[in-house]
Amino acid sequence: MIASHGTRLREKHKKMAMTLAFAVICLIYIMPVALVLLNSFKANAYVNTETFKLPTSESFVGFRNYIKGMTFGNYPFLKAAFYSFVITVASSALVLLCTSMAAWYISRVGSAFCKMVYYLCVFSMVVPFQMVMFTLAKTADTLNLNTPWTIPVIYLGFGAGLSVFMFCGFVKSIPVEIEEAAMIDGCNPLQTFFKVVLPIMKPTYISVGILEVMWIWNDYLLPYLVLDRTKYMTIPILIQYLKGSYGTVDLGATMALILLTILPVIIVYIFCQKYIIKGVAAGAVKG
Amino acid sequence: MAEVVLKDLKKIYPSQDGKRRKHQKGASGEKTTNLQITDEGVVAVQQFNIEIKDKEFIVLVGPSGCGKSTTLRMIAGLEDISCGELYIDGKLMNDVPPKDRDIAMVFQSYALYPHMTVYDNMAFSLRMRKVPDEGKEGRTRKLTEMEINEKVMQAAEILGITEYLSRKPKALSGGQRQRVAIGRAIVRSPKVFLMDEPLSNLDAKLRNQMRAELIKLRERVDGTFVYVTHDQTEAMTLGDRIVIMKDGFIQQVGTPQEVFDHPTNLFVAGFIGVPQMNFFDAELKRRDGVCVVAVAKMDIAVPADMAEELRAVPTGPVTLGIRPEHISLCDADAPNAITGRVDVSEMMGSSVHVHATVDGKDVVMVLRTLDIAEEFHGSFKSGMDISFTFNFSSVHLFDRQTGKALIGNRILEPSKSGPIGKS
Repeated sequence: MIASHGTRLREKHKKMAMTLAFAVICLIYIMPVALVLLNSFKANAYVNTETFKLPTSESFVGFRNYIKGMTFGNYPFLKAAFYSFVITVASSALVLLCTSMAAWYISRVGSAFCKMVYYLCVFSMVVPFQMVMFTLAKTADTLNLNTPWTIPVIYLGFGAGLSVFMFCGFVKSIPVEIEEAAMIDGCNPLQTFFKVVLPIMKPTYISVGILEVMWIWNDYLLPYLVLDRTKYMTIPILIQYLKGSYGTVDLGATMALILLTILPVIIVYIFCQKYIIKGVAAGAVKG
Repeated sequence: MAEVVLKDLKKIYPSQDGKRRKHQKGASGEKTTNLQITDEGVVAVQQFNIEIKDKEFIVLVGPSGCGKSTTLRMIAGLEDISCGELYIDGKLMNDVPPKDRDIAMVFQSYALYPHMTVYDNMAFSLRMRKVPDEGKEGRTRKLTEMEINEKVMQAAEILGITEYLSRKPKALSGGQRQRVAIGRAIVRSPKVFLMDEPLSNLDAKLRNQMRAELIKLRERVDGTFVYVTHDQTEAMTLGDRIVIMKDGFIQQVGTPQEVFDHPTNLFVAGFIGVPQMNFFDAELKRRDGVCVVAVAKMDIAVPADMAEELRAVPTGPVTLGIRPEHISLCDADAPNAITGRVDVSEMMGSSVHVHATVDGKDVVMVLRTLDIAEEFHGSFKSGMDISFTFNFSSVHLFDRQTGKALIGNRILEPSKSGPIGKS
């Protein structure tokens, strides 16, 4: 009885220590975002000098930084937001459609060619973007893929690796008899995919879609390299151009725009986090 | 009309192993495992010839890996036919896709669409289908929702699943899902129903119940049935004819009574019948023109009708088979009595299953309770001596080397087990 009491006490202390440790880790992760939020309400001068302090009556400027960020310069913020939205939605849709169909084919046919394509997709996740970015920019120029309407093709290429990996993991868990039943019921392969397989894969679509949206919305380097910046800018690119005369940067406005950029992604994540975790776990276990 | 004809059907699964193994063995097409492995690959089914009549209920039965499901899938179009021809209703179907063969299939795992309700599962195939347009010759149209609803409700009423139509498969029990799977098949009124071990995922009680329902359903539904199972009880109770398979070959085709009474080889004899047939090593002899079988240290004269069939069979080693129901108890000093020792007995109610050892060999007897003295109604004690005799007119003889039946056409007499305990 004394032994079990001692064990219970030790377990309690262990749990407390774990809670404390994870709380500290959470704070470390949240800190950068919290800093951005705090400093977005401060005047520019105070962002540098009182970075880690809460806004005071002197430093607090309300939503002035947000209005300045959205109206600064020659390029309208709403236009940048529009292009960010178009690229994100079009690219995500293209990635989801093409990679799910590819994963279905790879998983079901299972030929040597399919295995090779699968391993190429997995390998593409290992190759860093920096290795290919220069040749990619040149190729995009040559093939006229340097507009918001055509850049989704490039995102398809880069997003295929992880998406195919995650979809393949899930497709393997769908019993093949369901598809055979669909074939007997009168479906050709395309009908089998769209009427039977795709609805079953809905959770994976949501998971992969969220990951793709988060990546593409926040992406700076690829649009910066590929898009014709005289005509097209996304929000991450626009933030970089928040320079005043003599090259000064209004940090307060910059922080405000950064927060505006990440806010939609945070909201999506809060509502869809269970699908993200489920999808990543399924891909990891079954892939 | 929905006659199904399979002519010399063969299925080979290509395998790199096939070539490697053949080179290692050095012989051409030599059997190295139970399934034949050739240069082309593993032969899962071969020499499969059968004509299934219209509206017949045929059962393919055999142990796991015998090729029964592969054969069914070839009929469905889910597997390519390597060699041979398949005809449904007189039309060659080898290269016809599954959706155009006018078949319906019930899978072992039900294969219901999890994202659809029961109603949508059953209506799905009707929504995909096109029917001839009565108003415009040569043209087709899709079924209207009203027509679909009528067919679905009709099938649901037959199967007693009308109250589950708005549910999804995950909200149903195993038996209910199985009914929905069957409903999905019958709603299309196909020419041929294919069933791949539909009852194997159910518990024993539900299996018995569904088996009875399938028999009733067959009377209400018009079509030819091809049913696959590994359970010989299902095969015997459901089939008009049974096709027994082993290692890709047909062993025997016949009605349940035919395969039970006249098995063509050792495998069929041992596979059909519960408990399994008893087998003894024996020797066929001829003494002064009389045909005699030497078994269990006795020489038993063969009955006249059997002797007639054995006239052309040379003397030598044979295997004697006797079903447990055809063994009778007798006194120790009765003619042709065999004495053994009881291992275990199982009281089944109307009968007792006695497992005994005779010269190191296990023998199973099924004795009717009515024929046994009251004192033995509880059980036969382990270790006690037991004397029995064969009902020789129900004995089966098989060639020891080939396993083929040596006698096959006589009429078997019902078993007569004498009461024990009588002096």
